Amino acid sequence: MEKSGKSKKRLTTAKELSRIIIEYYQECNQARGMGKPVGWMPPMNGGIEIFYAMDLQPVFPENWSPICAAFGLTPENFRVTEEMGYSRDLCGYLRNINGYVYGLMKNGGGPLGGLPEPDLIISPGAGCIPVMKIFHIMEERFPDAKVFRADLPQVAVEDIREDHLRYAVSEINRLIEFLTEATGRTLDRDRLAEVVMLSDRACALWDEIMAYRKSIPTPFSAAEIGIMFVMVTRQGTQTAVDYLTRVRDEVRERALSKIGVIENEKVRLFWDNIPPWYNMGLLNYFETMGGVMVAETYSAAWSLRLDVKNPIETLAMKSLMSYPMVSCVSIKKRKEMVLKACREYHIDGAILHSNKSCHPITLGQMDIKRALEKDLGIPSLVIDGDHMDERNFSMAQFQTRADAFMEMLLQKK
Amino acid sequence: MRSKMVEPFVEIVRNEQAYLTEIASRGKAIIGYFCTYTPLELIHSMGIVPVRLTGSSRQTDKAYSLVPSFICPYVRGALEKGLGGEYNFLSGIIQGYTCDAACGIVNIWEENIGGKLFYSMPLPYNKSAASGEFMRARMMDLVKMLESIGGDFQEGKLRSSLELYGEIRQAMLDMYTMRYRGSLPLSAGDFLYVVLAGFITPPADYLAMLKTLVSTFTTTATRKPDGVPILVSGSIIENTRLFEIVEDRGGRIVADDLCTGYRNFSPPSGSGKDAVDALIDRYMNRFPCPSRSRVLERLPHLADLIQASGAKGVLFLFQKFCTPHLADHPVLARELNAKGIPSLAIEIAESPDVDGQFMTRIESFLEILK
Repeated sequence: MEKSGKSKKRLTTAKELSRIIIEYYQECNQARGMGKPVGWMPPMNGGIEIFYAMDLQPVFPENWSPICAAFGLTPENFRVTEEMGYSRDLCGYLRNINGYVYGLMKNGGGPLGGLPEPDLIISPGAGCIPVMKIFHIMEERFPDAKVFRADLPQVAVEDIREDHLRYAVSEINRLIEFLTEATGRTLDRDRLAEVVMLSDRACALWDEIMAYRKSIPTPFSAAEIGIMFVMVTRQGTQTAVDYLTRVRDEVRERALSKIGVIENEKVRLFWDNIPPWYNMGLLNYFETMGGVMVAETYSAAWSLRLDVKNPIETLAMKSLMSYPMVSCVSIKKRKEMVLKACREYHIDGAILHSNKSCHPITLGQMDIKRALEKDLGIPSLVIDGDHMDERNFSMAQFQTRADAFMEMLLQKK
Repeated sequence: MRSKMVEPFVEIVRNEQAYLTEIASRGKAIIGYFCTYTPLELIHSMGIVPVRLTGSSRQTDKAYSLVPSFICPYVRGALEKGLGGEYNFLSGIIQGYTCDAACGIVNIWEENIGGKLFYSMPLPYNKSAASGEFMRARMMDLVKMLESIGGDFQEGKLRSSLELYGEIRQAMLDMYTMRYRGSLPLSAGDFLYVVLAGFITPPADYLAMLKTLVSTFTTTATRKPDGVPILVSGSIIENTRLFEIVEDRGGRIVADDLCTGYRNFSPPSGSGKDAVDALIDRYMNRFPCPSRSRVLERLPHLADLIQASGAKGVLFLFQKFCTPHLADHPVLARELNAKGIPSLAIEIAESPDVDGQFMTRIESFLEILK
């Protein structure tokens, strides 16, 4: 299969990211040796701040999938999973991490030192079905790990009320009790306040960085969205704040100096759904014709500001909101967010990735497509693909559709 | 060969649209649902008819303009029916959140077909005092929503609905017991018709039909317990032909772990300090569904059914793309195999016809079990 390769990075700070990634996984692998318990958990919830505040090491198996894709390990992980009898119709994140923990990891392999075995597993009753099933698999694979069965029922963002929050708060408190009992460590409330402050600072920087993308020309594109790594793995740390400050400074400088991604930015594009991690170069594809991927749905998940005065409540709210905001739990909310972004970022056309590995984000795309056309006059292109499994993506088909779409957008200009 | 005893049930299933349109024409509000974790008793107690949406085994055309091809044939088919006007009698859809696809379809339905009330009810995954309290609050949300479309909530009425549904489920579970003993005089296809009619028929009418059916059993010869006993496990099954083929080819379905089957009926009821608590108790302690439980927790329940029914093998029938079932299947198959129980998994696509490959695979499987 022809690939367009890795994404092109224009930001110096984006190139710096590989060091941040290496250091994070080094930290994960050194944690046990330093007496720090390791916990596996899903991303996008308040567990990360609790972990950092209690000096525990969070590990995110979901984040490991893009790493495996970048290192070309996905086919091997899929092979292991399929040999165990799992269907190719299942989410690629599930098939990848299952293959990894039963394959390469058992054999001591993997890039960046691999993943350390968990002492703790935060197993969600929340989010999408595949993520729940991933953690059920992990519970079986690592029977010695202590398991916390989290519970955050899926509620549409617009329907969240006081009693939903009360339940989420009780779950965060239960998590703290579990971690205290399982590790013998106590939560220092001052330290938690500091971590939440750092987490909120990262969100503020994230918002600031994203806001600079509204500039014409845009200072960076979706091809550099790998910077999200610090939001996934480092929220609540000085590392994230320092890195995002450097990114913000560079992006601001480029925006003020009107340095764009390409010399002549003609068409501004929007990307919906998770990108194809095995072929991030796709996000640069339109650049030769003057198209730049200015914004994307996924980055909105990190725009949740935190109330530093109420750490537990704010982490509970973050946990409640993150998944529904970017899934089909709240199609109305998602549509509203996409339309708002397309207005603010001066978008000319949207690419809707119909992603076989993600039902919750793909469902509702046709309603978003129609609203973009009807309310804003923005045309969309639907491309068939998969964020993990390149066997479900055809480069030739993509090129044919993308070229025709760009020609149409250029004619409209 | 269809038994005369199940003709009233077949009639309702085959004439679903006309049957429900007639009920709606009498001024009754009808609410659709996909998953059996929807609190039917509460909806019914407020004077509204809950009806399970159907849709498998049909070609989809209109739905493709709204959803991708990799969504299960069941929800895609239901949406197709909605887009084609076959569900015009519905006031809306209420869905206990059990899978991502059904949640998405509820929202897409609201956007594209419309109605008065759409709700994906968030259900807790844990069983604790706090989760019970949370679920109670959601039940009260639902009460308010149903009141907005003319429903009337009274504790006494809810208690009556709980008793009614409890009686239905117990009658069905009694038939399952007869099935284990080989004394249920119905083929698996006929029995599925009985189950499917229950998703459409208002419960008081349905209970009366069940009582009539059971009364005929005493005067009817017991079905000869021949064929290889198997258990069917999987997601929603609407096509009775699948079961007919299994039994025509020499199998005998003696038990199931289906949401169009045992999972819907066990346990028959719950208990609590008031009617809402009793409702919550049952939904929190249901026979485990893969969308809401861990595979290793399902296994002992499945093993119990196998033992009680004497099944020699397990036939897994899944809706294609059904994540909860597909994610559990390899572990179940492995563990059953370790217990000496062979299994076969077949995915159901949207085609209305059962293909030759299905028949061949069933024949081969039954050969192994003989």
